[in-house]
Amino acid sequence: MSTFGTMDAASSGLVVYRKWLDAVSENIANMNDVRSTSDNAFQARYVVAQAADYGKAGGAQVAGIALGDAKGRVVQQPDHPLADAEGNVRVPDIDLADQMSQLIIAQRGYQANLAVVERAHDAYSAALQMGR
Amino acid sequence: MSVSISAISSIGALPLPPISGPAATTGAVKPDFSSMVAQGLEKLQATQSTSDNLAVKATTGDLTDIHDYMIAANEATLATQLTVAVRNKAVEAFTEIMRMQM
Repeated sequence: MSTFGTMDAASSGLVVYRKWLDAVSENIANMNDVRSTSDNAFQARYVVAQAADYGKAGGAQVAGIALGDAKGRVVQQPDHPLADAEGNVRVPDIDLADQMSQLIIAQRGYQANLAVVERAHDAYSAALQMGR
Repeated sequence: MSVSISAISSIGALPLPPISGPAATTGAVKPDFSSMVAQGLEKLQATQSTSDNLAVKATTGDLTDIHDYMIAANEATLATQLTVAVRNKAVEAFTEIMRMQM
């Protein structure tokens, strides 16, 4: 841990939550993508977070992106240009309510890490006032 | 009725370690104040250049994380304040010594 270890750890947490927000926004943006039944549906993005090695940089990091089900849902929509002979199309299996709750969790996590940065700044500033 | 009181042992008999000169205590080479200040200034320089690079990225639109710049700027401010505080204390100590009555 360096002088600003607290801030660096909080910064890595901010990166994780920012990526989570990116993933959620991408999922919501592609929520209504329609594909033909012969193609794969849009796969939801899930951020896999893990702890970085303590003692070195510390903090958290994104281990990778997990992908949701490629099958999605098959929906009856005979008037759609991509519909197959039975009138079916494939749409992603993304639940908006689930994505919204993930969005709120990610937003709150981001804010919590920012609060840590702010408190660390206050603490370091207080230490600099010592003996004045 | 008699109570025997043992004699007070002389101070010289106490097992005090011999006082050694300042040269003897510095067995390992310790960094002196000036080199510590120089190291601190170098670190400050690095922190500020990181902050500057991120500021340039922010203006050119290459900044992926907004908080990266804010935290770097924060760290640069704090490091500068710390360096200035150390410098002020050093100057204070120097003037205090200069004011000493001979």
